[in-house]
Amino acid sequence: MKSTAALPSAGLQVEDSRRAGGQTQTVPPGRKPLTWKKRSLPWAYMAPSMIVLLLMTVAPAAFIFYSAFRNDKILGGVGRFVGFNNFTEALSNASVRQAFLITLAFVAGAVILEMLLGFALALPLAAQTTANKVGAALMLLPFAVTPAVAAMVFKQLLNPNYGWVGYYLGQLGFPKGVDLLGDPTSAWIVLLILDIWQWTPFIALILMAGLQSLPGEPREAALVDGASPWQMFRHITLPGMIPFIAIAAVLRTIQAFKTFDSFKILTGGGPGSSTEIINLGIFRVGLQSFNVGLACALGVIFLIILSLLVPLMLRVIGRRSDPEEI
Amino acid sequence: MLYTTDEANSAAVASLVPKFKEKLGIDLKIDNQPYDALQQKVFSEFASSSSYYDIVVVDTPWAPALVQNLEPLTPYIQNKDLNTIGDANIGDFIPKVFYDTAVYNAESPIKRYPNETEKPAPDAIKTAGFDVYGLPIQSNVAVMAYRSDLFNDPQQKENFKAKYGKDLKVPETWDEYAQTAEFFTQPDKNLYGTTVMAGVGDWATDDFKTLLASFGGNGHLVNEDLSLAFDTPEGAKALSYYAKLAQSGHVPPGSTSADWGTTAESFDNGLAAMTINYHDLKLADNVKGSIGYAPVPKADATGPHFGTWMLSVNKNSKNKEWAYQAISWLTAAEQQTAMTEKSLHPSRSSVYSAIKDDHPLAAFYETLGKSLEVGVGRARLTNYTEVSHEIAVAVNNAARGSASPEQALKGAADKISTLLKSAGY
Repeated sequence: MKSTAALPSAGLQVEDSRRAGGQTQTVPPGRKPLTWKKRSLPWAYMAPSMIVLLLMTVAPAAFIFYSAFRNDKILGGVGRFVGFNNFTEALSNASVRQAFLITLAFVAGAVILEMLLGFALALPLAAQTTANKVGAALMLLPFAVTPAVAAMVFKQLLNPNYGWVGYYLGQLGFPKGVDLLGDPTSAWIVLLILDIWQWTPFIALILMAGLQSLPGEPREAALVDGASPWQMFRHITLPGMIPFIAIAAVLRTIQAFKTFDSFKILTGGGPGSSTEIINLGIFRVGLQSFNVGLACALGVIFLIILSLLVPLMLRVIGRRSDPEEI
Repeated sequence: MLYTTDEANSAAVASLVPKFKEKLGIDLKIDNQPYDALQQKVFSEFASSSSYYDIVVVDTPWAPALVQNLEPLTPYIQNKDLNTIGDANIGDFIPKVFYDTAVYNAESPIKRYPNETEKPAPDAIKTAGFDVYGLPIQSNVAVMAYRSDLFNDPQQKENFKAKYGKDLKVPETWDEYAQTAEFFTQPDKNLYGTTVMAGVGDWATDDFKTLLASFGGNGHLVNEDLSLAFDTPEGAKALSYYAKLAQSGHVPPGSTSADWGTTAESFDNGLAAMTINYHDLKLADNVKGSIGYAPVPKADATGPHFGTWMLSVNKNSKNKEWAYQAISWLTAAEQQTAMTEKSLHPSRSSVYSAIKDDHPLAAFYETLGKSLEVGVGRARLTNYTEVSHEIAVAVNNAARGSASPEQALKGAADKISTLLKSAGY
């Protein structure tokens, strides 16, 4: 630890190697710089959880990167470094490219619709009344259902011969025995509806918390100035909600990319390969054929897409938080 | 022992545990896992060279990848001292079942024993360059189930005669099957002729395999020399038949997204007069009727899809001799016969012969035994799941009419050629 000359009024400048960019720690006059022992105490407290985190997340992630460049066999046999072969194989495969595009389309569709519906639900439920508390609790029920169970129940409801959905569609004049999972368009609608039913409450919950935390003064001032409800929403509520919208959108996007159960149970990627999202392919390649290298490469490509997308989303939404941009 | 759940009738095996202890003097601890979890567990056990499980259940699609991790059993089978508690007696297994399930050349798992109908014998197997890697326990094969009450109904018989000028009987050919399906279809009465499992999944591939073998093709889908056996005139014929049936209106709505479970459910609830599935069926309480069973129809040949689970000894086990004695006892004729009380699908000829007429499932077992004798298994590929998926997509596309059978099969062939290269073939 080296000290640098500084004016006494500015305090003692101490180089702190722990800070990014070689920032310096300013020690107020009359106070001694922290000893190494005192500085490492917080790290000692954090060590157990850091070790667990390293073992549970960082190590597997590192292993995935390592395996993506090899052709290791899960059941013996010597694997070797194969460079970008697994990546080339994955990206040169038209089915894989299509699966990535389908996944992106699903995530975009689901997240946008869930954000809109979530906001629409959060606005009336934000007021802290008893009825709203009951409503919010009920609204959270789908969110509590295991996705695989929800998909199984949906599959029964959609059975064209004795499912409720077909029956009520028939009552509305639709043809009898409509097989919604047998047609690409309706299968997509069903998958989106299931996802929206299950995950909109999650968005609504975050946005409700945001709405409840907004300060009341700007609204009161706007009311005094005679602002219309739309103007209130447009110029007061929405700008204040941007950070919450951003966090909800990012969290839900990450979750939506991990969707698997509903597709596997409801369509298996069908009809044809119209709902074949990349996770179904990764499951088959990695956990049924045990082609570890290719599965890891697909996972890494997936991670890269997500890593590019999330900051982009944050930047786009973040830019909107500038009142001038609204 | 690592075993599955309902897929291979775990209740039947569990029922033997007390007798096992009595006979072998050791506890049999069974860990059950559902299919997907079981596959991952089995592979991870072998990946880590674990000796925790002495006995592992293996499904046929996994065997080509696993075979080098399974203990070759010929030396054990030939050792008289190890066959006193339960004699493996491999000559008693249904030949096609035994060779398809348990006989491999570990160096080249794609190879098949040259004569799959001869009585299994350890010496002949060894001489041909193969070995035995497990003992078959639960044999599944495509079997036709039909509503015998409808087929025996005088009014139905009379109507059929009036319409087609011949007697109503259980169909034996695919043409008769389609015609009978047409006859029984009465959507206003919520009754359809038959079912198809044309949803995207292994079930659709299996339906197609059965037809491919029937129309004179190689039901294994991929030949031993890795040439594709489905993108052929026989394949096109088989898929055309299937697509026509799926689009005929003689199958229940939802057939192009149906699987094993939904077709069984449809039949159980009285929605179909016939069906093809892999286990016995039971009509729902509100459906008055009875069920008969028959082999699946034929065209130029026959070859119902089949697949059998086997019990194998973990190569890393520290108790191999005990494990072998355990599996030979569990799969012996006496135990398999006992397990038919719990609906096990036996793998031994003698067990089928011994099933008495008063057994509640006598009709099912009679058909099951006959069908297993002529069944056709899967291609022995380490990435069969991916290959099967591409075939299922093709079958589904043809069944929905979104592609012609030829186009669908051509598309699958292109993708499967890539998949085989990717797997190192």
